[in-house]
Amino acid sequence: MPCGEYFTSYESRMGLFRWRIQRVALVLALPIPFILPMLGLGGGNISLLSQMFIFAIAVLGLNVILGYAGEIVLAQGAFMAIGAYATSRMLTTGVGLLPSMVVGGLMAALVAVAFGLPSFRVKGFYIAISTLALQFISEWFFNNSRAEWIHGGSQQQISSDIGLIGPLGDLGGDLTIYYLALVAMLLFAMLSLNLSRTGIGRTFRAVHENDLAAAVLGVNVFKNKLLAFAIGGFMIGFSGGLYAFYIGFISPDYFTLALTLEHYVMLLFGGLGRVWGALIGVGVVTILQDILQSILQSVSAATGLNATSLVSVFFGMIIIIVLAVEPKGVLAALGQLKEYLRKWPYAY
Amino acid sequence: MVDVVTFLDITISGIGLGALYALVAMGFALIYKVTGVLNFAQGELALVGAYGVVILGTSSLISTPLPAVAAVGATILFGIILGILLERVIFRQFIGEPVLSVIIVTLALGGIFSGFIRFLLGPNYRSYPEALTFGFSIDLPLGTSISAAYALAVSLALVVVIALMLFFRYTVTGSILRAAASDEQAAMVLGVSIERTIALAWALSIGITAIGGVLLAMSSGGAGFSIVATGIIIFAAVVFGGLDSIPGAFIGAIIVGLLQELGSFYLEGGSAITAPIIDVKLNFGAGFGEILPLIFLLVVIVVKPYGLFGTERIERL
Repeated sequence: MPCGEYFTSYESRMGLFRWRIQRVALVLALPIPFILPMLGLGGGNISLLSQMFIFAIAVLGLNVILGYAGEIVLAQGAFMAIGAYATSRMLTTGVGLLPSMVVGGLMAALVAVAFGLPSFRVKGFYIAISTLALQFISEWFFNNSRAEWIHGGSQQQISSDIGLIGPLGDLGGDLTIYYLALVAMLLFAMLSLNLSRTGIGRTFRAVHENDLAAAVLGVNVFKNKLLAFAIGGFMIGFSGGLYAFYIGFISPDYFTLALTLEHYVMLLFGGLGRVWGALIGVGVVTILQDILQSILQSVSAATGLNATSLVSVFFGMIIIIVLAVEPKGVLAALGQLKEYLRKWPYAY
Repeated sequence: MVDVVTFLDITISGIGLGALYALVAMGFALIYKVTGVLNFAQGELALVGAYGVVILGTSSLISTPLPAVAAVGATILFGIILGILLERVIFRQFIGEPVLSVIIVTLALGGIFSGFIRFLLGPNYRSYPEALTFGFSIDLPLGTSISAAYALAVSLALVVVIALMLFFRYTVTGSILRAAASDEQAAMVLGVSIERTIALAWALSIGITAIGGVLLAMSSGGAGFSIVATGIIIFAAVVFGGLDSIPGAFIGAIIVGLLQELGSFYLEGGSAITAPIIDVKLNFGAGFGEILPLIFLLVVIVVKPYGLFGTERIERL
């Protein structure tokens, strides 16, 4: 706590930005992503940043289910695929991108709730297994030509010439996806932050820490788990729709188990259950992945080996090392470092 | 109309496939029983076994390949060493960590293995050395027949399964493993070294899984990345059998193998049958055979989560 500042009311104690330095940082930092494209950042970097924002929404959704409510969901790819395909189907009706993405999110939330139903009787790894089964079923389903009347073709082009709502707000420009993703990410980050400090978030955490104790204290464990599935599923599905629009093409190959694992790396690297951790994790891991890809691609080109398949090897190693060294993530490690430096040279 | 001979044919190959899955499933159940680790990388470990023979027994990577049988032996040995290494280097760090960490670690391990194999050999199907593939097929009564490679793989799988059952039942080491699995503390009091037992369990588990991978590949004539799907299919077997029961894993695997073969023959493609009352052709599209066990898994999780022989956990505050 900084010197000379006191909380005089409950509202200021529970505020999102509690200290003067945080407010200053907010005012100074918030405009940066908005003016970044005007500073002459290249198209590739803008695209990378857009992808970062889109994945951040999905990881925040995962954070709601896994970090807050503690349910291990291994169907990130499936939820994003459902969001993406639902969005694509809705776009053909001409309602515009935003309603389509909302429908995509709702579809994903529906499936998430359906697969959360077993949590009435079982918990923990049973949910992990059933959602992993969902991942495989969804990959089969979206590749299946017999189910075309539902998903509308396993590979689809998405036109970028659509409006935000109906025909209004043309999204044809280069930077629109960047701003769209940025605003959506900020909104969902706000939602997650607010969720974690309201009663719902506290209930989720109680269920996470000890669901039996929570049930004894009168929390409806089953209802709260389903609520977490619904909120998280909606965010992941929404991000799936946005991702589909960002790429402009959807194929089941984009939504595999590898995507799930990638989002887990991001969330666990940043720190489970912390919004800022999730955002930092997404940023660091996306940049790292981009650098790694380009290095491995040049290695492949130089030696003729298919070195690009080593990406999953590196990510596997990162995730194991992070979990072994600091299971709480990099944000907790930074906090410890700060504390150490504050007390240095006397550790008391 | 269901043809009896075809049905028998499919049933036999289903039981055979189940016997092959049983090895991988038993590897999973063994580790879960003794150490409590849920190994989501079983599919990739089977893949390591399958491609181990390709690496050692064919001239795709090394200039002088080993003879086929030696390559299989070396692969199984490698699996055993890999098991001990995994326990020493990785899973020992995660004793007492939450379930999530362990699950994610095994998933990451799966990514590491499959990525590394993809790096070494590329994503394509690799056929086995000729000594391990047989052209002819064996005739069974009632006019059914199965190919020799498949028959050999299945009978080897059955031999391994029976040997394992006998091992657990009649040897001291087997008893120690069972003791450690049923009550770690009591076993420790009686002088069992838990550390050694866990290492043994890992070695045995990965060894069996590697054998399972080799036989799975052998039954289809070569190794392909589709073996990874075994990792999820065996969950259906293991959950149905009751997660921590090794005979349960075997029975579950047989049922799952049957479901997969029957599903892929009768519910997809040209041989799809017609539903009796609603009169609709049951064609769910290609690949439904592998999805049917997963649907079965979901049903089991909802209806009977502790499976056939699983121990139901009673929770206390």
